[in-house]
Amino acid sequence: MKTWTMVMILLGWLAGSGAAMAGEGMPPLKPVQLSMDQKTLQHGAQVFTEVCMGCHSLRYVTWKHLMDYPEIGMTREQVDEMRGDAPLTAPIKTGLSEADARESYGVVPPDLTLIARAREGGGAYIYSLLLGFEHDPEGKVPDGNYNLYFPGHRIAMADPLGWLDHDEDEEQELKEQARAVASFLAYVGEPHQLERKALGRKVLIFLVVLTLIFWLLKREVWRDVH
Amino acid sequence: MLEKMLNTKFAQWLDERTHVVQYVRFHLLDYPTPKNLNYWYAFGSIALVVLIIQVLSGVFLAMDYKPAAVPTGNGFSMAFDSIERIMREVNDGWLIRYMHAVGASAFFFVIYLHMARGMYYGSYKKPREFLWIMGVMILVIMQATVFFGYLLPWGQMSYWGATVITNIFGAIPGIGDWLLQLVRGGYGVGDPTLNRFFALHFLFPFILIAFVFWHVMALHVVHSNNPEGIEPSKKGIIPFHPYYTVKDLFGIGVFLIVYSWFVFFDPTGHGLIIETNNFNPADPLKTPPDITPVWYLTPWYEILRSVPNKLLGIVGMAFAYVCLFLMPWLDRSPVRSARYRPVYRTMLLVFFASIGVLGYCGHHEVTPELLLIGRIASLVYFAFFALLPFVHKFEKNRPLPEDI
Ligand code: HEC
Ligand code: HEM
Repeated sequence: MKTWTMVMILLGWLAGSGAAMAGEGMPPLKPVQLSMDQKTLQHGAQVFTEVCMGCHSLRYVTWKHLMDYPEIGMTREQVDEMRGDAPLTAPIKTGLSEADARESYGVVPPDLTLIARAREGGGAYIYSLLLGFEHDPEGKVPDGNYNLYFPGHRIAMADPLGWLDHDEDEEQELKEQARAVASFLAYVGEPHQLERKALGRKVLIFLVVLTLIFWLLKREVWRDVH
Repeated sequence: MLEKMLNTKFAQWLDERTHVVQYVRFHLLDYPTPKNLNYWYAFGSIALVVLIIQVLSGVFLAMDYKPAAVPTGNGFSMAFDSIERIMREVNDGWLIRYMHAVGASAFFFVIYLHMARGMYYGSYKKPREFLWIMGVMILVIMQATVFFGYLLPWGQMSYWGATVITNIFGAIPGIGDWLLQLVRGGYGVGDPTLNRFFALHFLFPFILIAFVFWHVMALHVVHSNNPEGIEPSKKGIIPFHPYYTVKDLFGIGVFLIVYSWFVFFDPTGHGLIIETNNFNPADPLKTPPDITPVWYLTPWYEILRSVPNKLLGIVGMAFAYVCLFLMPWLDRSPVRSARYRPVYRTMLLVFFASIGVLGYCGHHEVTPELLLIGRIASLVYFAFFALLPFVHKFEKNRPLPEDI
């Protein structure tokens, strides 16, 4: 009994110090409700191609995927309008070359296909990042490059949605754009995620029934063992 | 139905020429088992199931995976791209990949419980020393296998994990440099490293299977121990089939429910099964702030890390395995089960806790406090083995029962 108490105290202390470490220096992410319905995802795809595609690519997502993924389900006309003269089966690619990007921003903007999976917080991080541009309280980082949620707070991406100094009446619209594009990126990070959960429910029901049968079988077989 | 199958003309014909029916009877049907085995004894069968899952899913992954670090633009590589192609384009590729990734964690989870059971009931003791040793070898081979496998997606953690761990070999005096280059196939971790790790990751499971085979063969010579740790009389013995076939099936069912829950609802295990940073492609110029292995390797990694000297760290880690290996001879008590050994029982629980603490520390970035805690836990780990040869001298056993 005593041993267990000691172990529990030790583990509790460890968990506490671990939690304290994890949150160091970063504000908690903005709360957001991502959604994977067609309306949001299509809106997100629109924001992506109109704004983010200026600098970022989606190397594993083709224009055709925007039609083929049922959760996005865009029409041929919608996609044609967005893709310009890029081939339908080509990945969604920025026009910005790596060399130009290095010259303008000092870094190559990361590919965003997996960004929601590659960052703690996923979609909520993207949402917070887009709405995290502020004036540097110390005045060191130039406006548009100070971001509350980016590690070190200095980001090479200049406020893509124009969140800094937005008008009161733009606020709702900008939040919705950020939410939509964050949802879209969370979706394309793992396009089979809804299928996965749907299949999972069936598999689990099957396994629970099967295991129940095994249990009954076991009880029956073991009845005479004492 | 089974009886009928074994009595067909064909089965008899085959048996006269290769004894299959006799094998099946001896190893699966009539195999004598103590009647008091609890569910902790299902983990051996569960481990076999996981082994099969890993081999099958692995073969299918290998059909679409490309072991090449060749750059494909914006920091990506052929290997990374091929994994994403499996996740996105290959039919049910995501399912196969998650089965394999979650399977790796599940394998260790199951094996650690399987080993803990063996330690708790004193199953490593005479006459089961060889069975135990094969088990420790299996653990070492498993850890090598996942280490090779984790490099394959060529993500940030793949790359940096392999860099840090192979660096350790470089610290060995005399042969260090030579060994480092042999393992990496060059000076740094690169395309040749990926190629040989893929080859080894494919090979090692077959070595593992050979050892598992021997493990089970040894078991079927010395037979199962049991929670009481005493030799059962004839009355306490029942045939494996149907009793343990159905009991193990139920255990396997429960395991599959938990396993599937992770595969379908939390395949990355919140970064514990597939680390978040491994969705970033490998970047040799960008060292991640905290390079830590996946949870099942962290206790051993922490032992290594808590020794200030790199070389001594390696010795310490190797020694951690040697201690496990020697357990049958370190423990001199004639009583097997911890149920009847109050001192050993307490020591063992503290030992298990020390492994948990080591694992926790090894999973986090080093801080002065964590370093201290890790060092204490490492000492506890070794103190357990250091005390083991002396416990029986002052331990008062609880009286053993007559029979199970
Ligand atoms: C003018 C070019 C430009 C535009 C437009 C742009 N970005 Fe970026 N983005 C960048 C650059 C440059 C970086 C790299 C920042 C760094 O590493 O400091 C970046 C980085 C990011 C990151 C990664 C941050 C991290 O944690 O590493 C995310 C997420 C991101 N952008 C999302 C978006 C989204 C969503 C949009 C569209 C709403 C967008 N970006 C539009 C240039 C741009
Ligand atoms: C691939 C990995 C492994 C497989 C498939 C496997 C399989 C099995 C099986 C089927 C049994 C009989 C059922 C049971 O007692 O659970 C068993 C028993 C046993 N295994 Fe393993 N095993 C593995 C790894 C290990 C490891 C790593 C160890 C310890 C280091 C170990 C130690 C033992 C011992 C001591 C027993 C006998 C237990 C007793 O009779 O009380 N095994 N194993």
